[in-house]
Amino acid sequence: MKYNTSSSNDAAINESEEWVREVLDPDQLSTAKLHIGRLALTGKTMLLLWGLRVYVALMVVMSGIQIWNALHAGA
Amino acid sequence: MEQVISNDITTEDIKRARDRSNVRTARTQGGGRSLNLLWLLIGPGILVMLGENDGPSMISYAQTGATYGVGFFIPFILLTFAMAYVVQEMTVRLGAATKRGHAELIHERFGRFWGFFSLADLMFLNFLTLVTEFIAIRAGLGFFGVPPAVAVLGGFLAVAAVTLSQRYWTWERITLGFATFNLIFVPVALMTHPSAGQIAHSCLTWAPIPGGVNATFLLLIMSNIGATVTPWMLFFQQSAVVDKGLTSADLKHGQVDTAAGAVLAATAAICTVLATATLYNHHVKASSFQGAEFAQALVPFLGTLAGKLFAVGIFEAGLVAAITISASSAYAFGEVSGGAHSLNSNLREGWPIYAVLTVAAGIAAALVLIPHAPLVFIVLIVNVIAVLAMPPAIVFLILLVNDREVMGEHASGRMSNFLGITVTVILVLAGLIYGVTTIFPQLLKV
Repeated sequence: MKYNTSSSNDAAINESEEWVREVLDPDQLSTAKLHIGRLALTGKTMLLLWGLRVYVALMVVMSGIQIWNALHAGA
Repeated sequence: MEQVISNDITTEDIKRARDRSNVRTARTQGGGRSLNLLWLLIGPGILVMLGENDGPSMISYAQTGATYGVGFFIPFILLTFAMAYVVQEMTVRLGAATKRGHAELIHERFGRFWGFFSLADLMFLNFLTLVTEFIAIRAGLGFFGVPPAVAVLGGFLAVAAVTLSQRYWTWERITLGFATFNLIFVPVALMTHPSAGQIAHSCLTWAPIPGGVNATFLLLIMSNIGATVTPWMLFFQQSAVVDKGLTSADLKHGQVDTAAGAVLAATAAICTVLATATLYNHHVKASSFQGAEFAQALVPFLGTLAGKLFAVGIFEAGLVAAITISASSAYAFGEVSGGAHSLNSNLREGWPIYAVLTVAAGIAAALVLIPHAPLVFIVLIVNVIAVLAMPPAIVFLILLVNDREVMGEHASGRMSNFLGITVTVILVLAGLIYGVTTIFPQLLKV
């Protein structure tokens, strides 16, 4: 079992590179991930997402009304 | 998929490799069921659940107990944590299978617009929530006579100190240590000598609901949902799973971790309701109480120790949530901006996320010291807003967890989708009911 107990400096990085590559999965390395492309969004999915955004906008307005009423009542 | 090859090994990789090396050793020496392996792999699930038992949540539970006693809300809280498990388990699979945080995955799969939109949603809500955590820190320590400025500054320094350890493992273990104090509500509940029969009856009948269904009842329903299932949890747990280095081989332990977190958090939540049910039983009007006032109100009935424990619990709830929620913002910012997004990063590599984390916490802490702010209302409304913001977040989650191109064999099956969609429908309905009753409050006065 090999543990790297050195502090995080460049020398430590060079010494342990092989060991790090052996221990971690390739896509666990912070700078060597597989690049995932965009998901092809269907019309239905786009509609769903925009519908949800409209929902959020409406709910923010309703929350605003609730806050206004509560603060007004408090005053 | 296009592979980007790089020869760079960062300090983040080295630290994660140490953690993974320990896991590999434990698995080799003790087998898949060893306690040591479990100890090494738990963390994100327990932290996310106990983190969500935050200041506003504990005050919501306290309000619930003081307003309705032991009844409908006991099984309802169990249901909300079951919902939380369904949602959070998906983030474990996503993180372990894709090795990407939630914001990063939305950004990559749905494009920059949705990535930044989700990030903005999260950062705004997290900031509001952070304010409420510092309110809890102030309230909890205020019970012991600590001046507000000292309490808030101390809380901020604790958040900064834990995070700036620059080591995920250290951050996780210290935060877990703090989070165990969430169970301090258990002895407070035991001091009330709760009736097992009454609790069992409430679980079987979902009753009583004193006063029936009215605006207060609906607000507490929303607050309790908001106390259990919120957007930051999705972003935090997935990013923490990735930062911890969990892989597909660790999925079972990730699920156990999440289930354990749900059980512990539900226990603390129900014990808070049981504790403040004392106030309901003694007809104490607690509708405008803050955290410390609950602690003080319990003293005449349960003694000074109960009040002190309750106050410590409120302080702990705020502190742990401030640590985890600010980490969630920092992770998401790093993931979408393309910079370092690991608590294993050193200050040179990860300064942007550490800056986001400490600046957000610092501003939130400062705001709490503004005189005459309507603190109780802010605390309750944050949970409600969190519920309203949840449906879009969970829809992205379900789309991603069904994305077989990145999830492979770990994509959701029929049962998981059924449960996930059911939870989404419940959350959307809760939001709609809240919205309709806000515009037409007379509907509740029949």
